[in-house]
Amino acid sequence: MQAVVTGATGFLGKRLVQSLCREGVSVRCVVRRSSNVGGLRDFLGDDWRKVDVARTELTDFSACVDALSGADVVYHAAAGLTGSTSTLFLNTVIPTRVLMDAALEVEVRRFVLISSLGVYGTASLPSGSVLDESSPVEPEPHLRDPYTYSKVVQEQAAWEAWRERRLPLVVVRPGVIFGLERGVLSGRVGVQVGGRLIAMGGGQTLPYTFVENCADAIALAGMEPGLEGEVFNVIDDDPPTAARLLKMLRRAGRRPRTVRVPGALIGGFSGLYEWYHRYSRGQLPGVITRYRSASMWKKLRFTNEKARRQLRWRPEVAFDEAFRRSLQGPDGRQ
Amino acid sequence: MSDRQRLRVGIVGCGQIADAHLQEIAKLDIAHVAAVCDVHRDLAVQAAARFHVPGVFDNVDEMLDASRLDVVHVATPAQTHHDLAVHLLERGCHVYIEKPVAIDAPEVESILSTAHRTNRLVCVGHDQLFDPVWLDCRDRVAAGEIGEVRHVESVLGYPLSGQFGALVVSDPNHWVRRLPGGLFHNVISHPLYRITDLMPGAEPAVDAHWFSRGEATFPTELRAHLRGDAVTGALTFDTGIEPQRITRVYGTAGCLEVDFDGQTIQRRRQARLPGAFAKLETPWRQWREAGANLRRNLARFLKSDIHYFAGMGRLFDEFYRAVLHGEPAPIPGEEIVRVTRVMDAIFDQCRGSAERLPRPSIRPESRPSLAHSV
Repeated sequence: MQAVVTGATGFLGKRLVQSLCREGVSVRCVVRRSSNVGGLRDFLGDDWRKVDVARTELTDFSACVDALSGADVVYHAAAGLTGSTSTLFLNTVIPTRVLMDAALEVEVRRFVLISSLGVYGTASLPSGSVLDESSPVEPEPHLRDPYTYSKVVQEQAAWEAWRERRLPLVVVRPGVIFGLERGVLSGRVGVQVGGRLIAMGGGQTLPYTFVENCADAIALAGMEPGLEGEVFNVIDDDPPTAARLLKMLRRAGRRPRTVRVPGALIGGFSGLYEWYHRYSRGQLPGVITRYRSASMWKKLRFTNEKARRQLRWRPEVAFDEAFRRSLQGPDGRQ
Repeated sequence: MSDRQRLRVGIVGCGQIADAHLQEIAKLDIAHVAAVCDVHRDLAVQAAARFHVPGVFDNVDEMLDASRLDVVHVATPAQTHHDLAVHLLERGCHVYIEKPVAIDAPEVESILSTAHRTNRLVCVGHDQLFDPVWLDCRDRVAAGEIGEVRHVESVLGYPLSGQFGALVVSDPNHWVRRLPGGLFHNVISHPLYRITDLMPGAEPAVDAHWFSRGEATFPTELRAHLRGDAVTGALTFDTGIEPQRITRVYGTAGCLEVDFDGQTIQRRRQARLPGAFAKLETPWRQWREAGANLRRNLARFLKSDIHYFAGMGRLFDEFYRAVLHGEPAPIPGEEIVRVTRVMDAIFDQCRGSAERLPRPSIRPESRPSLAHSV
């Protein structure tokens, strides 16, 4: 099997390449012309000999066709993570459309899109609901943060290609991916302001997945037969609550400067902030709204049952061990 | 003002800077955005969804045909500005053009002559001239607080790790890299017009060079000295220092340091007290200046008056009023040409001092598509 991985030099991408190599898959890494692949080479070690590198911009259709020639499976992990909405659309939505065109042109057997668990419309779900693959996708993505908006539209484009042009699509929606380079804190815990963490609530379960577990699940999504048109949520077993995570951090000697907003006050706090943003005509940025808060910090339950059953995925690294590994080294500082 | 009286505005190019345009126009009673357009329809759709714009287009002519626009903002890559602006003027629209207004002075002159022929107005995005802190500085200079202006120094700290900078670095084919002045072409107009604004007379003589910092494969640093009739200027563009937008205006009786990001003005002048007392007087004066800045910014904060793009909003307002009342555009055409000629001279000199870096082609076939986003 010949696999092509976009975003191969990234946090998730390099683990995905490693996971595929270990499965004996031949991997072609698609990287930007200006990318430094030294980090990927060092990370893969001996596996580096099993991969080849195609340098191309994902906005260049003919170059993408060349990069995908002979590919059986495309794993599309490249995406923008930060920036304005337009920047994220330019780095996520536009390249995805070009890459899908190229994948259809060379008739790949499968196109695995790495989406995000954030695409669900959780604002409308009652507290305590189980979020699974049948939950509704965000109906008002422009009201969410720029990253989520770009991922929702990216998926919309992919499903359109699946319906109308028979793109052999499989969508993977990982939760919050954590690991050594990224640490363990995320927007699901709270908001970072001027070196302080404003912890929102604490009782909400964090839909976390350790990067190595996540990479294994994604690799399987390209290899198991008969999955076209399916969606898989990827969350590790026994994810922690925000309060438990902060407690673990304190026990590990990391003490993020934290101001806690109790769960019961999140709605009111968000409404007040949103009102001031409008009243002051944007003197403070509109990063917190009632809608975003209801989407982000609600108490929900998560399941990975479908991925376990149909992908035959087992998260190999338990959370406590994944947490420990994520704090090792200079990049593990919180 | 009723919807019928308000100007109908369109925006071509829905990249990052278009967000600022949409935010600032939304604060004005005098106009509203009726349509947005980008060759990438996804970008136009997201802008329309977030800012409640009714018209979404990926073709400029379709937008013009459908939306009856009075004013169109051009927020596309600079290589497209001339052709787009001329086309929009010919179609009867007044045009606001993001900086840099065009590739070079001949293109700017062509745009202005088209505006003259079609009896339309052109405004260029020299918005920091209308920033509250710069207007305050100008008032203080005009009141003689620092005597006669002799020298103006502008510093732009522009780390390439920023959002836009990182994008430009990672893509050798990025439209910014293909400008005649490369990275600098897209941003130095801001620090430059802050100098020329206080430098009356003809075009100043230019002495400029650029160089690379670290492992960059293209010029990342620029230094330029300007010599006018009575005022000199120094422009520093540096990717190795913190982000900052600072202009110092030196006069015969002191200096005003304008910090655009901090929205402060610090006055510096020679101490009057003798000897060691001067060492107490100077920090005392600075402390009082800091207190005055704090009080002013606190008052502005309480009035919800601190906005990063405040100058842009004020410039839009003045431009739209000029359109409505048939008055001249807020920034004179001669000044737009003068600034562009100085930029041309800077880039010509820099290329001359770095012959290994040829001027990129700007033939029409190498230009990005019309309505591409910035």
